[in-house]
Amino acid sequence: MIEARNLTKIYGDKRALDDATFTVRPGLVTGFLGPNGAGKSTTMRMIVGLDRPTSGSVTVNGKRFADHAAPLHEVGVLLDAKAVHTGRSAHDHLLAMGATHGIGKKRVDEVIALTGLESVAKKRVGGFSLGMGQRLGIAAALLGDPATVILDEPVNGLDPEGVVWVRTLARFLASEGRTVFLSSHLMSEMAQTADHLIVLGRGKVLADSPISDVISQASGDAVRVRSPHADHLVSLLQGPDVAVTAVEPGVVELRGITAERVGDLAASSGVVLHELTPLVRSLEDAYMTLTQDSVEYHAGGAARGSHVAPDTQTPQGATR
Amino acid sequence: MTATTPTRHRDRPARPTSKLTFGGVLRSEVIKLRTLRSTWWCLAIMVVIIVGFGALFALSAGLFQAGEASTEQQQQIVAQSVSVGVVFGQLVASILGALVITGEFGTGMIRSTFATVPKRLPAVVAKLVVVALTLFVVSLVALVLTLLINSAILPSNDITVDFGDGALWRSVVGAAASIAFIGMIAFSLGAIIRNGAGAIAASVGLVFVLPIIVQIFTAFVDAAWVYTLAEIIPPNAAARLYDYVVSGQSAMALPSPDGALVLEPWSALLVLVGWVVVLFGLALALVKRRDV
Repeated sequence: MIEARNLTKIYGDKRALDDATFTVRPGLVTGFLGPNGAGKSTTMRMIVGLDRPTSGSVTVNGKRFADHAAPLHEVGVLLDAKAVHTGRSAHDHLLAMGATHGIGKKRVDEVIALTGLESVAKKRVGGFSLGMGQRLGIAAALLGDPATVILDEPVNGLDPEGVVWVRTLARFLASEGRTVFLSSHLMSEMAQTADHLIVLGRGKVLADSPISDVISQASGDAVRVRSPHADHLVSLLQGPDVAVTAVEPGVVELRGITAERVGDLAASSGVVLHELTPLVRSLEDAYMTLTQDSVEYHAGGAARGSHVAPDTQTPQGATR
Repeated sequence: MTATTPTRHRDRPARPTSKLTFGGVLRSEVIKLRTLRSTWWCLAIMVVIIVGFGALFALSAGLFQAGEASTEQQQQIVAQSVSVGVVFGQLVASILGALVITGEFGTGMIRSTFATVPKRLPAVVAKLVVVALTLFVVSLVALVLTLLINSAILPSNDITVDFGDGALWRSVVGAAASIAFIGMIAFSLGAIIRNGAGAIAASVGLVFVLPIIVQIFTAFVDAAWVYTLAEIIPPNAAARLYDYVVSGQSAMALPSPDGALVLEPWSALLVLVGWVVVLFGLALALVKRRDV
């Protein structure tokens, strides 16, 4: 159980985290999403006391992390794969970390086997690939058999097999009753792994709810309409709340209006419809919608977000 | 590289019972120190320098024409022959001291360390203790080895070694302590500066450059307080730890006009403890406060 209360972190004049309040509960995989610079890593670092909050507080199982008698058994954390001395072997790194809590070689060998690092365990970490570094970071996070596992971008640099393994591991750890908190920028991955989502944007909590709610809330009403008289239909539907996107000639996607209303209007004005489909959006789309106003680093000029993002304007002449 | 799916057959993990202890943190720091190649390189270089310079000095001790010298003066030459490489040993110690802490900051290891020991200070204190003890023990072994080798070389230059001389042993132990103290000061600077190159530059500057600057200063300002300052800067205070004094005659050629402080080995020890307390105290305060 992680509880953040009004957590704020200011670097210079930048609010990395702004009054964030949330709870990460045991027995669930909680996903932590947000664009680059949204404050995810800062939040995770504050949970384990590496960064000091400007104001507010965060506790793990009711206590500040530093106040636990056995921190390594309380929280296992992967913050970044580079938190290892490059001149030391993976085995020795884990041995040194474990020694602080009286954790010996037996457990070190267990987590090395668990993360598939046997063949490179005696090699110096400096020569590790990104994927091996991630596995070592996960091994370190599991070393103390912790009640809470925090993983920042755990699938970064992993091969597809590794990605599936992390997903399985996260679900397994949660099924054991542990608190699992992981961030990722791969939305599709998160959709398959997380039960609950916390979405950050510019340091603020934009959403904190079960994953299905996040999707449905962000989706709003969206429908795809195929009609030989699409132009006419669109002119009938025009309104301040309705956004129209031309997909191809005769096919438009509408946001801010229900399928029922489109069907009623089409029937009453005699417009023939060949298709009327309510759109359920992917998590990726939902996420883009939530965070599009808080993205800090836009790709220059390129269209962002999804094709059904609500601010997408009808391109001129596209609904011919 | 294949990962296995975890297969523990239980619904609720049994909570582990071991705790974070200072003894555990000490063991962790010992593991960290001995599992880096740079440690072994630094220690090996230090031993070679101490033993090598010592033997060279003993071989050329005929220059002293010590045949008619008193027993005490002969013992002073013995002490000098053992400690002649100590300044270079201090240099290596300052590099090792700075490296062990800045290496953690530079590689990001410090985040793993502080996520494991979130109160932070026990980890930094344990690291200082382990580095200082290692430097003391290794340099003491090197110095005793030098003494044994030189006791075989020196008689050919008409100098006999008196192993029963307490002052000689005090000088040997003081020399080892001086290396440990310089290592601790470099460690503290490393924890304050955090950058490896910067900390090594600062430490080397402290050991080799600062005494020269202060010496030049004494040429311009011929006041007692300047000589007192020269006496208490860490490298000079460290040198007093292994000074072998014969009837008020120091083995070192530090000029000391009237009214200037001259440190005895024990007061030099206090001065060095003071330096470590101040610098390491500042380091601890910063380590506790800073984000990593």
